[in-house]
Amino acid sequence: MFRLNLKIALRNLWKNKGYTFINIAGLSVGMAGCILIYIFISYQLSFDQQYANKDRIYRVVSYWKYSDGEEFQNGVPRPLAYAMRNDFSQLEEVAPLQRGGGVVQVMDEAGRVKMKTDETVFYTDPSFFKIFDVKWLAGTPEQSVTEPNTVAISRKTAIRYFGDWQQAIGKSIVFKQVNQLKVSGVFEDQPETSSNPIQILLAYSGFKHRQLKEWGSVSSGTECYVLLKEGMKPADLAGTMQAFIKKYYSDDSDVKQEHFFQPLSEIHVDERYGNFAGKTTSMREIYGLAAIGLLLLLTACINFINLATAQAIGRSKEVGIRKVIGGNRKELLTQFFTETITLSFFALLLACVITEAVLPALSGLFKDELNFSLVNQPALIVFMFALVLFVGLLAGVYPAVVLSGFNPVLALKNKVNVGNSGGGSLRKVLVVMQFAITVVLIAGTVVIVQQMKYMREKSLGFNSSAIAMAYLPNDSISVTKFDIIKARVAALPGVTSVSLCSVGPSSSDNRTSNFSYNSTKDMDFMVNTKAGDEDYFKTFGLSMLAGRPLAKSDTLKELVINETLMRKLNIVKPEDAVGQYITVLGEKVPIVGVVKDFINKSLKEGVSPIVLYNAKNSMSELAVKMDTRQISTLMPQIEAIWNSYYPNYVYSSSFLDDHIRAYYESEVIMGTLLKIFAGVIIFIAFMGLFGLISFVATQKTKELAIRKVLGATTLELVNMLNSSFIKLILLANLVAWPVTYILVSRWLSGYAYRIDLNLWPFMVAMVISLLITVLTVSLRTYQAAMANPVNALKNE
Amino acid sequence: MITLKQIEKYYTLKGAKSYVLRHIDADIQKGEFVSIMGPSGAGKSTLLNIIGMLDEPTYGSYKFMDQELSSLSERKRIEIYRNHIGFVFQAYHLIDEMTVEENIEVPLHYKNISSSERKSRVADLLDRFQMVAKKDLFPHQLSGGQQQLVGIARALAPQPLLILADEPTGNLQSAQALQIMDLFRQLNKDEGITIVQVTHSEANAAYGNRILNLVDGVVTNNS
Ligand SMILES: Nc1ncnc2c1ncn2[C@@H]1O[C@H](COP(=O)(O)OP(=O)(O)O)[C@@H](O)[C@H]1O
Ligand SMILES: [Mg+2]
Repeated sequence: MFRLNLKIALRNLWKNKGYTFINIAGLSVGMAGCILIYIFISYQLSFDQQYANKDRIYRVVSYWKYSDGEEFQNGVPRPLAYAMRNDFSQLEEVAPLQRGGGVVQVMDEAGRVKMKTDETVFYTDPSFFKIFDVKWLAGTPEQSVTEPNTVAISRKTAIRYFGDWQQAIGKSIVFKQVNQLKVSGVFEDQPETSSNPIQILLAYSGFKHRQLKEWGSVSSGTECYVLLKEGMKPADLAGTMQAFIKKYYSDDSDVKQEHFFQPLSEIHVDERYGNFAGKTTSMREIYGLAAIGLLLLLTACINFINLATAQAIGRSKEVGIRKVIGGNRKELLTQFFTETITLSFFALLLACVITEAVLPALSGLFKDELNFSLVNQPALIVFMFALVLFVGLLAGVYPAVVLSGFNPVLALKNKVNVGNSGGGSLRKVLVVMQFAITVVLIAGTVVIVQQMKYMREKSLGFNSSAIAMAYLPNDSISVTKFDIIKARVAALPGVTSVSLCSVGPSSSDNRTSNFSYNSTKDMDFMVNTKAGDEDYFKTFGLSMLAGRPLAKSDTLKELVINETLMRKLNIVKPEDAVGQYITVLGEKVPIVGVVKDFINKSLKEGVSPIVLYNAKNSMSELAVKMDTRQISTLMPQIEAIWNSYYPNYVYSSSFLDDHIRAYYESEVIMGTLLKIFAGVIIFIAFMGLFGLISFVATQKTKELAIRKVLGATTLELVNMLNSSFIKLILLANLVAWPVTYILVSRWLSGYAYRIDLNLWPFMVAMVISLLITVLTVSLRTYQAAMANPVNALKNE
Repeated sequence: MITLKQIEKYYTLKGAKSYVLRHIDADIQKGEFVSIMGPSGAGKSTLLNIIGMLDEPTYGSYKFMDQELSSLSERKRIEIYRNHIGFVFQAYHLIDEMTVEENIEVPLHYKNISSSERKSRVADLLDRFQMVAKKDLFPHQLSGGQQQLVGIARALAPQPLLILADEPTGNLQSAQALQIMDLFRQLNKDEGITIVQVTHSEANAAYGNRILNLVDGVVTNNS
């Protein structure tokens, strides 16, 4: 029976080629979207999942609760890891993972430098490898990361340095000019999907820092990983953690500090903490995409159901006959499911082709290595077959149930009217639903586009264009060369202004500090500290509300505060702030000016309270404002000057504008995705509409002919059909608006600076949906209405 | 084989009962060839559908091979129906998407008959109705008479005991009609298949051995 049914299914599909095409095209585009989203999501969820102990591995993270907010940090105080190793008996292993960096020099046989690169290195100890089962090609963790004078490198790095990883063992490299390190281990490269992109590993015992014992300072460069003992849950550690915090932190502070055990699987998907790879995809985005995937599938299935029920009328006779010759309901259900599953299988084949074609563009968008290979991803095969079954069953269930439920006697008399037996109204409900989804997406896309435009055009309170930021090493010798480099760069023709600073006005690198004002006790919030010299204000075009900019100085002697800090200190008039004293970074210094607020993070966040100060040893960047036309000639000159003073360091620079743009990378990605998928869903929905209208037009051929004989014009006939669909689309808009409003308001609330929601997105969505409907309906019904009525009536 | 007692069938239209069949008592023995006659709208098709289990009476008792149908489960009824009853229609009702051969084969699929057995039965029927050359054609490629032959072949495929035919020659020209009626007679005589047909034509009725006259839902003459 299956084979015969399949054959009949194919013949039926072939007989209605047009509908079959519409069905398969809509469905395969929808499926391709789903597969792409699946690939993307499963890629995101595969981060850090390659380790045998993955379910027992946790990262220790920090959390602070302030009176007016909270802060999440991937970093922990430097002494935490070893303290935890002592105090937590529930932990099998504890390992610090400290990020560092510096210039690495690779020597040739003769001892000459053959390669000089700026590298990120990590310090850890052998217990790290008891937590993470990394494969070692040569050497062991014990040999490589115990002694300060050894180094282990990844296979890729070994090849880069020495041409071949087998050659690497025993060779030497020089780190930060002075540390001679012997390569004693080579480990396998970590996959792309790793939150710890470790290339060069040093022993933690060799890590030097003046705050190594300091519990009050936390850097995002210090992480700590733990392996829970078998059978332990983080909740079992809560008591010990409480005692731990009590033991190491004084409780007279207003700031409440906590540490959590973050599961390994969450490191990539919790954007609040961040990680060493600098890659996160929030669960919000993942859920958002999954929802879009579901919507895609839903629209495609609605098409399918609509077309199949419309076709049901034509198949009532067949159903009647099958029942009369002994087919029971179950067999008919099987038959119809065979058809829908066959159809969705064809759609899947086409979807695979589409996916292959689109995937490179998608991985380009995400700057990730996504691949679509069935061989390596058995889960994908399972997913695709599940997809076929799901779509086949969902799309088949309504037509199958309706068709198989026909009374055979009535069916044979052609008296079943699907239109009146519920199918028609269901079809209307489905069309409304489908278009409501479309309208939500169109309006949502418009809002995102508006918000993006707003953010691009919003004044940041400072000038960011044509400013290059060049890195400066700030060890004590390098610092002495700051002034001469600054002077030489400033003298270049085309350079407008040069400033030494810690970071630009807007930066993702934010240093915060506790401070006190009019009291010996610390305030209950932290200030953002930025170092900038006397030219900082001019270079970035910051404007003063009161007082003056910072004066030339080598050490912290005075402060400029921003408006937000002034307000938080309850000072009303900027003039009143000038002359007050603040104790910060270990010095009690006067406020000499108040600067107008500028956006110091992204527009998602509000402005932080900021103090600006001038101190040479805090500087780490050279900001160069140039004439836009001369950027390309100036950049090599700046690099040449830099290299002449820092021959042992590696020059790197970037533009402030690019840096600011990078804040909105995820918005750009989400915006692009939404535009694409909204486009796809619109395509599917209108494809379905076209199919449906074709059916209606075919069915109404006779009615149209009679009306024409009675004197209706073609235009009147087209309008007649149009009006019924327009009503549905208007209804869909009505349904979609409140939903859109809720979703979009929630999305916008994530931005401190946002557009006011206006009527535009809703209008655009309505106009687009109406326009396309009228076009589709008119196009299709015009043909039917134009036909010679005599032909249509003769058929009877 | 068939015993109808006090069969009634009515539709409720706007609260009022509109009777189609009233107090039908009838007995049909195995091997009979019965013709149901009567004016249009008298309830002939309704009666035939009730006999064929496509429709259910509103009231009354129907025994098929000594089993009271109303006491049987849906499943059991389909079982009896599949094995013993074949339908032939005025409008043939072949499945348009299937070839002649496939049309004849479908009921055998529903009976779960093995593939080889199916093939041989279909081959026999094609042979017998001289349709071998046409087995791969679709219904619309055949004449009315040929389509009706396929319809009968399909009804015969499960080797039923009873064939129900609703105006089987209503759409056919007289020569083709004769051929169909001859075929019915032969099936009745040679194979002992019980036949109940609805017809308007006295000539067709004459092929049978008994006429059931139906006027306004009442059997007026059972000769
Ligand atoms: N579903 C129905 N609802 C209401 N009346 C019906 C229905 N089906 C048949 N009838 C009525 O039952 C009567 C008998 O119909 P039918 O058995 O087809 O007559 P015949 O075959 O003798 O011409 C007709 O008057 C018809 O209108
Ligand atoms: Mg009739």
